[in-house]
Amino acid sequence: MSVVAPLVLVVEDEQQIRRFVRAALEAEACRVVEAETMAQGLIDAGTRKPDLIILDLGLPDGDGTRFVQDLRAWSNVPVLVLSARSTEHDKIGVLDAGADDYLTKPFSVGELLARVRALLRRSKAGAELESASVRFGEVEVDMARRQVTRRGTPVHLTPIEYRLLCVLLANAGKVMTHRHLLRDVWGPAYVESNHYLRIYVGHLRQKLEHDPAQPSHFLTETGVGYRFQL
Amino acid sequence: METGQDKNAVLARQRNYLLALAACGFTALVATPLHDRLDLANIVMLFLLTVALVAVRLGRQPAILAAFFSVALFDFFFVPPRFSFAVSDAQYLITFAVMLAVALIISHLTAGLQRQAQEARERERRSHSLYELAKALAGAVSKEQVREATRIFLRDTLHGETSLFLPDASEALFTVGEALPALSMPGIYTVQSVFNGGQAAEAEHVAGGDLRSLYLPLQGATRNRGVLVVSVPFSGAHVLQEQRPLLQAVASLVATAVERLHFVEVAQDSQLQIASERLRSSILSALSHDVRTPLTALYGLADSLVLTKPPLPEPVLETAGAIRDQALRLNGMVGNLLDMARLQAGKITLRKEWQPLEEVIGASIKLLGAGLQGHPVKVSLPSDLPLLEFDAVLLERVFCNLLENAAKYSPDAAEIAISARTRAAMVEVSVCNPGPGFPPEKLEKIFDRFERGTTESAIPGVGVGLAICRAIVEAHGGAIHAFNPAEGGGCVRFSLPCGNPPSIELENTPGEGGVP
Repeated sequence: MSVVAPLVLVVEDEQQIRRFVRAALEAEACRVVEAETMAQGLIDAGTRKPDLIILDLGLPDGDGTRFVQDLRAWSNVPVLVLSARSTEHDKIGVLDAGADDYLTKPFSVGELLARVRALLRRSKAGAELESASVRFGEVEVDMARRQVTRRGTPVHLTPIEYRLLCVLLANAGKVMTHRHLLRDVWGPAYVESNHYLRIYVGHLRQKLEHDPAQPSHFLTETGVGYRFQL
Repeated sequence: METGQDKNAVLARQRNYLLALAACGFTALVATPLHDRLDLANIVMLFLLTVALVAVRLGRQPAILAAFFSVALFDFFFVPPRFSFAVSDAQYLITFAVMLAVALIISHLTAGLQRQAQEARERERRSHSLYELAKALAGAVSKEQVREATRIFLRDTLHGETSLFLPDASEALFTVGEALPALSMPGIYTVQSVFNGGQAAEAEHVAGGDLRSLYLPLQGATRNRGVLVVSVPFSGAHVLQEQRPLLQAVASLVATAVERLHFVEVAQDSQLQIASERLRSSILSALSHDVRTPLTALYGLADSLVLTKPPLPEPVLETAGAIRDQALRLNGMVGNLLDMARLQAGKITLRKEWQPLEEVIGASIKLLGAGLQGHPVKVSLPSDLPLLEFDAVLLERVFCNLLENAAKYSPDAAEIAISARTRAAMVEVSVCNPGPGFPPEKLEKIFDRFERGTTESAIPGVGVGLAICRAIVEAHGGAIHAFNPAEGGGCVRFSLPCGNPPSIELENTPGEGGVP
């Protein structure tokens, strides 16, 4: 277990937002580096090697999607995007480029910290997930034996449902765009068949959620995609 | 003017006849000294040559005169007995007859050729000016230029006058440039009926009296584009019949030019619209960003005050919490106002996809969170509800606004119910709350902008929530209305068209991870 506090790079041009984000992160025992522009952010990402980047999409000097594309060429550091509502298109763009999660402004400190914790945990846990068995709610998924049980009773999943569940579990806490999920589960030819994805997520909810109409694990990110939450 | 021209023509004709006679006289004069040396047959040749030249230079009638006159001169001056019309030898009668016949044939053929050449020149001149017209029309950038080019062409070729009638946006015909002063009411009626019927018509001007006009419809690819009126003096009215093909060609050239101008206008309009649309949406998104940035800071800073460790004293903590909540409410209002502005700005671009209704309801409940003020939401959807095609982000707004509204007007902890049913080709969704219901006289008006159930009540809101719902539902081809059910409370019901959902092929292979 590393004792070094994780380093978070905050790329945000508004000073007051940086202030409370920094305060919240420091209260969470993180070290914080601030950057006001995309260009500076990219330099800091290279030189300071942060464990997490929080990126505002509305920066005056650039396009967040380009930032993430550039970053992903040489780094796998998790990226949490801050964006205004009603820009689903930009969100999808930046998530498809490789960002891990987004928060819609305004956001509470609690939400911010929950996302930060989830992303830091993910990057630490990393590849270990594959072999382990995962528990959420009343459900246990045994990856090794490819078996799903709910309250001890085996649950029947079709091959596609199981594959979808695995992809979501492997990316727990991360927002998966429709496109990304369709490509990973169905293959590149299906990236426009959103209704398939929606129907299968509905099946998983029916089989695994306590209240399928108000799910607590298979969450909808409206207009963007899905997020699996442990 | 016309009589003057006629007089000139008559004078020219008389002069031609005199010239023809003079030419024959001159030939006789030249031939007289040669009489002793030349055969009579060769003298006949000289006369025939003269007739031919007259026919070439002066035309047919003078040539005929010259033929007869030559025979007379030949008989009088050269055929013995000379200086008398008497003929000594009967065989000279044959000479006269042949000479006359040859002279007439020559004059006929020559004059005919001459006339054809003349006509060809005329035709060439017209087609040349038709090319000029086509060129001018192709370059015309205004209706006035089209009219001017046509006017010049018809004036030069037919000595006619031109009026051009084009429809305006409301389909009323107006004339381009100045109309003919003599264009009377029957003329206007004719223009209208030609425009509606698409058939050319010819008519006289009642008021002017001395003009005859041809009304040609300007037939475009899809519809009539207007009417071209060509007016000529009554005496020259025959050209309207003779030159009908030419005039029809002119009309179709003008129609093409007018149609082109129309499409250029349409293209410019839509470009302008796109530009203003872009401007509006960039202003809205700039505004949205500018307002939300300080709101985010305000909300986040207040929230961090609430979470400060060690905790702040109770009253300060409460204040911080209140600031945070108010910031969130302000954000909601700004969001609604911006949405309204965006929806009002004109066409909404829907990102429609086929999806289950259940999902967007769940997402709305989760998004609203604390906005529900602890009201539980009961969702009862029929299990066979089809996929619907809608923009999830916008429909989420509808549900959020309806739920928020329901929560606002319900007694504490009362259950809000969402239900759906299929009716004909529509799916009807109802959001009901057990509150006091809507004021009956306002059931329709609550969907208007800035309209609230109760004015100046303690319940917060600016009254655009339901107006946004209506705009979004109507953009999806549905309808929305409010009603108070008999068992109490208030309901809002909206409908969405079922459409043709895509077919789904579900896998039917045995599954994994389950019972073997």
